[in-house]
Amino acid sequence: MRREITGGLTWRSRALLLLLPMVAVVAALSIGRVGVPVSYIFDSVLDKLGTQAAELMTQYESVLWKFRLPRILLSLLVGAGLSVSGCAFQSLFSNPLATPDTLGVASGTSFGAALALLLGFGMLGVQAMALFFGIAAVALTYLAGSGKGRSSMGMMILSGIMVGSLFTALISLIKFTADTESQLPVITYWLMGSMSAAGYDSLLLGAPLIVLGIAVLYLLRWRLNILLLSDDEARASGMNVKAMRIVTVLCATGITASCVSMCGQVGWVGLLVPHLCRMRYGSNHLALVPSSVCVGAAFMVAVDTMARSVSAAELPLSILTAIIGAPFFIVLMRRSGGWQM
Amino acid sequence: MKLSVENGCFSYPHGGREVLKNINFSAQEGDMVAILGPNGAGKTTLLRCIMGFLRWGAGASLLDDRNIRDIPYRELWQAVAYVPQARGVASSSTALEMVLLGRGSRVGLFAKPGAADLEAAQQAMRRLHIEHLESKRCSEMSGGELQMVLIARALASDPHILILDEPESNLDFKNQLLVLNAMSELTASGMTCIFNTHYPAHALQRAGKALLLSKGGESLFGQTHAVVTERNIQKAFGVRAVIGELETPSNMVHDVVALEICERGGAESGAEEQVRRELAVVSIISQDFEISSQINQLLHEVSQHIVGRMGMPYRDMGLYIINVTLDAPAGVVQALCAKLNVLPGVAVKATYPRETASRGDVQPKKEA
Repeated sequence: MRREITGGLTWRSRALLLLLPMVAVVAALSIGRVGVPVSYIFDSVLDKLGTQAAELMTQYESVLWKFRLPRILLSLLVGAGLSVSGCAFQSLFSNPLATPDTLGVASGTSFGAALALLLGFGMLGVQAMALFFGIAAVALTYLAGSGKGRSSMGMMILSGIMVGSLFTALISLIKFTADTESQLPVITYWLMGSMSAAGYDSLLLGAPLIVLGIAVLYLLRWRLNILLLSDDEARASGMNVKAMRIVTVLCATGITASCVSMCGQVGWVGLLVPHLCRMRYGSNHLALVPSSVCVGAAFMVAVDTMARSVSAAELPLSILTAIIGAPFFIVLMRRSGGWQM
Repeated sequence: MKLSVENGCFSYPHGGREVLKNINFSAQEGDMVAILGPNGAGKTTLLRCIMGFLRWGAGASLLDDRNIRDIPYRELWQAVAYVPQARGVASSSTALEMVLLGRGSRVGLFAKPGAADLEAAQQAMRRLHIEHLESKRCSEMSGGELQMVLIARALASDPHILILDEPESNLDFKNQLLVLNAMSELTASGMTCIFNTHYPAHALQRAGKALLLSKGGESLFGQTHAVVTERNIQKAFGVRAVIGELETPSNMVHDVVALEICERGGAESGAEEQVRRELAVVSIISQDFEISSQINQLLHEVSQHIVGRMGMPYRDMGLYIINVTLDAPAGVVQALCAKLNVLPGVAVKATYPRETASRGDVQPKKEA
């Protein structure tokens, strides 16, 4: 099948896209305040696989596998997840400006986390609470936006914005009531996004939902093209449009809520990465979904590596995604002459 | 496969007024059905009801006597395909990608189209002779190209019934013909085509059956020549139109020309069954002097209606010219013209006064 005319990826692009996150992971394992030589990483991996290759150093071992790997895994998941859910929302609303937060998920999740931090919960408690409020926010949006009979996507977006601003206001309220010495800084830093809380146990709670969501959206990727058509056309393609929409929303919000519950708000990725991929690989979701997964994962790993290594104090993620992403995006947009959905 | 609507009624939830009243029609294999009606009469609403996008208030759409509401999505949309109006699509996908989307009802839920689907899509494009558009982007296409691509997308699912929403609107002459020819070919191959159109002429030229909607929600369904008549057009559109035959070297083509807006418009003017033309000037040119006696004979038969007459030979060209002014019912004038028309070497044409001039003005002049 000729990929270029059916909209899929060529084998070359596929290889490149798979290589991208792998290179990013190896680089991220090596770079940091404690520099680990790349050769040592391979030795250590070979050792884990059973071949006695070289002497291992306990200091490197703990840095690599106890601190860096969970962070990198989380970055991979968050980058891939937010990018894919951005794709899904942009297709769902046929709107290039849609982001994972369009239905108020991120605000709801952040509120849940802030509330849990205020109440002094542990890290897992924060995550669970965040997840709960994220899903609750979407449910609220859905209830508000779906009227009797005809529920339009425009109404859904509007009620999403309303629910989002409601939760944003509630977050401000929590910040206002929080103790300025101890709680407020924690909440504020958390909201700006960081992978530093990553651990295997929090991954275990958040990862399944992200992986499941990405898997379902990946399998439905060709159908996302149909969802982009007008309502009648989508229905005439023999698909249960309503069910498809609900599944898409569930997956995308599940992913987003999980991501935000683990690492706080990481702005931009859900908007930036899908559009980067559109400019490079075209707007067919057969290509867009897999390329967004790979590029998003690699991008997030790169940004997180930068966040923890450029300065002595760790930089919040959303600051970096915007500082790196925005100029890069503008340059690419101008060079490629824009793109279309 | 037979698609029919029984007693379909529809009104929008908050509108109150019934948009469609008691619609009945059926389309068999190889039928082309044109749906005509003025703007706002509910043509698109009717199509959306037929396909189940809108729920009938009463009545039902039946596919082989099964209510389409009871047919699973995939099964229904394998049998029926929908071609939306080709308003500029912003999609940057290529024509082939777009046509492949038509395979939605045949591709597994979690699958992507495979080699068989690609073959079907390309087959659909070949059928419409647009395989050269394969890699052209939809956003860069002309209206005509896009319409053909959308028809190909519908064909890609191998449907039995094709439902098209104003397929030839906004297209130039050539593209209109391309689209209509494609529809005619598909119908000839046994497919059913149901389409909305703004052109009564297209219904007359192409469709065997027609459904005429009026603004009040009434409808008329039957053989096209029985439905699309001057009287029904006036009733439904509020426009006085003439249906004429154009003679081309090979055949006669029906055409409809809208003449003027009837002030009363709407449904009530239908009470005026025959437009009464009271005055007519019949001009006759004969190439043959021998025939003039026969002409005179015919004119003599209507002598009680004749208010003026002029006859002269034009010897330079060997022609005999007669002008007769009649004050007679339209039927009498038409019959006279028809009789004159069959005489060899005779050309005849009747001219009537404008309908809008009120009759009050005409009559005093005539008496004077």
